[in-house]
Amino acid sequence: MRNKIILFWVIVAIAIFSACVVFTSPKEGQEAGKIFNKPASLGLDLVGGSSLVLEAQTTDTIAKITPDMMDSLLYSIESRVNSLGINETSVRKIGEKRLLVEIPNITDPERAKEFIGETAELEFKKAVNVNEKGDITWASTGLTGKDLKKALSATDPAGNWIVSLEFNAEGSKKFAALTKELIGQPMAIFFNGELKSAPIVQDQIIGGHAQISGDFEYQEVKDMVDLLNAGALPIPAKIIEENSVGPTLGADSINKSLVAGAVGIGCVMLFMIMYYKAPGFIADIALLIYALILFALFKLIPVTLTLAGIAGFILSVGMAVDANILIFERTKEELRCGRSLFTAINSGFDRAFTSIFDSNISTIITCIILYLLGTSIVKGFALTLAIGVIASMFTAITVTRNFMHLVFGTGELKHPALFGLKASEINNEYKASETTKENAKFGVLD
Amino acid sequence: MAHPNLLKDKYIIDVKKQRWLWLSISAIILIPCIVAMIYSIITYPSHTPIKVGIDFTGGTIIKYDIKTNITTDQMADIRNELIKAGVENPVIQNMSTELKTEEGGVNYLLSVTTPFIEEGANTAQVITDVLNKKLEKADLVSTTSVGPTLGKELLKNSLAALALAFVGIVLYLNLRFKLDYAIIAILALLHDALFVIGVFSIMSLLFNIQIDGLFITAILTVIGFSTHDTIVIFDRIRENNRFLAKKSTFTEIINASINQTMVRSINTSFTTLLTLLALYLFGGATIKDFTLAMILGILIGTYSSIFFATVLLDMWEEKRSQKRA
Repeated sequence: MRNKIILFWVIVAIAIFSACVVFTSPKEGQEAGKIFNKPASLGLDLVGGSSLVLEAQTTDTIAKITPDMMDSLLYSIESRVNSLGINETSVRKIGEKRLLVEIPNITDPERAKEFIGETAELEFKKAVNVNEKGDITWASTGLTGKDLKKALSATDPAGNWIVSLEFNAEGSKKFAALTKELIGQPMAIFFNGELKSAPIVQDQIIGGHAQISGDFEYQEVKDMVDLLNAGALPIPAKIIEENSVGPTLGADSINKSLVAGAVGIGCVMLFMIMYYKAPGFIADIALLIYALILFALFKLIPVTLTLAGIAGFILSVGMAVDANILIFERTKEELRCGRSLFTAINSGFDRAFTSIFDSNISTIITCIILYLLGTSIVKGFALTLAIGVIASMFTAITVTRNFMHLVFGTGELKHPALFGLKASEINNEYKASETTKENAKFGVLD
Repeated sequence: MAHPNLLKDKYIIDVKKQRWLWLSISAIILIPCIVAMIYSIITYPSHTPIKVGIDFTGGTIIKYDIKTNITTDQMADIRNELIKAGVENPVIQNMSTELKTEEGGVNYLLSVTTPFIEEGANTAQVITDVLNKKLEKADLVSTTSVGPTLGKELLKNSLAALALAFVGIVLYLNLRFKLDYAIIAILALLHDALFVIGVFSIMSLLFNIQIDGLFITAILTVIGFSTHDTIVIFDRIRENNRFLAKKSTFTEIINASINQTMVRSINTSFTTLLTLLALYLFGGATIKDFTLAMILGILIGTYSSIFFATVLLDMWEEKRSQKRA
């Protein structure tokens, strides 16, 4: 009995701890804590935002994509995403040649998409051939965005926006040589294959400074500067998957899931009380503890909750009481055999355990497979369902058993109605003929 | 002392006497499903048993908030206008739902599905412009785009996941029970998976329903559940078999085990159904088909574990004892 009371207080402590984790979240402007005051992490389908999958492309010169290339691609995409100035963005590698970019709360997903996928290749070219119509054929000079140290946005004396460029040592030399060569001729600046400006070179420029001027809007200049500073993509990348959700749709999904969850859990709890009476009530308390522990785990691990993940959670509530149903049915059966309360509860738990364990393992097997092979949406569902199944083994078995023992004690069953049984049913049931050893294993001592 | 009434009880079902009844019910349920699946595999260009959405084929879906309701005529008009503007093969759907936000009201959503819009193409802008011209207001709320290679990959991965799940469960059941129990449990799983896929196949023929990546998840979850139910009964049969093997036949043991586990099989499925129904009725539109697939799966899973797996187990045992004799 002493052990049972200790266990009871351990359970209470876990429940209170979980409740503290679940119900504290940082207020506006408050710093997030490590355990308490931690924000729940919600998926982009709930808060709104864009998720993009980029795939690195092989070209004539790049036959195979190496992990090194992927690292530098990740780096340049990351610096581009950061320059958007949005909090909590993330760029992750998935598989061998893909990147997952997640940008929450974005207002203009189309612009972000263009911005991220842009190759950002800066090239200086010289004229090699001019035909009678005035069309110019341009040729590469070897001076590119790679020779750049940094780019700045600035205005010229007339107040027009320009991009100011500063070359590195190597680039300065090249630029000096090029301007010397091209005195009196046009030098073209191409950005992403587009001619941005083609000034006539007046004199050799030493010192490694240049500027791109033209009839630019501020935004255009800022984008160019950001892209140039983030660097050209080391390998071309293509967006192969996109998911953008507006914030209203996300809020709608959250509220609908909350309603569905409340109704679903409410119905299950009501059913348990109506059908299993007192044990049903205990199972309901265990179910609430289950929900608390689960949400606390989601926050602590942390698990990003998506719409499918919430569905997985609501579903796991239905499954969490499965174990209790198996146990209570078995307990009722033992009571009908005329066993004492203590024995009936114990053997109810022990004998139902193998079916509970085996069936939960089969769910976990499918969850593992879903997690390994699924897309990110499916992964969320599999993870929440698996954590749910494991947590439910603890609450449905350990917690309910402890509460049942403490509530019902060890005496004879005086009020069969508490278990939804009629007095006439007791002692009128088949008993399996078991050996003494088997009886002992299940704690049956009659 | 053994109370003798276990084996004298009136059985809810008799797996030997009613063997052909239950097998024919399963056949009646499954044959239309299989016919629809074969028909679909032959006729659909994707050669799949169900119409598959952009998750599997690649494509782009753009959703707009259009503020007011829209008629079918308007939709046809918009479609024509889109084709004129050079949008390839657009499919327009009205997806209006009740809104569950603080402001409430109804969310009038319109979705436009097109082949995969390549990066840099301005198709999305063209569609937005056409809608803004034709309707009072059209705010872009979501874009989903899947490249064609990625779609094929998902289809391949999904099939691999299904196969792996079957193998994983056979291996586990083989470890915990005997191989024959495992094989029969898998037959019951196939029975359930065929039913759910078949019903969706019929629905996609009748109502033009398309499945997305989540559908495979639903099928896999159904497989997990179905094993769950079957295990509860098999576990009881195994337990009873230990105590009663000497004084009763295997058929009697199966019948008695079904009697003993019937209530719990139904109740466990019922609580899961309660949560799924809540999700179906009150949850978002995006997961409706997903929950529907699981609801069907739970129903058939409960049926198959009580009426199908047990009948097969009895037949198997009969074959084996005949061989021995």
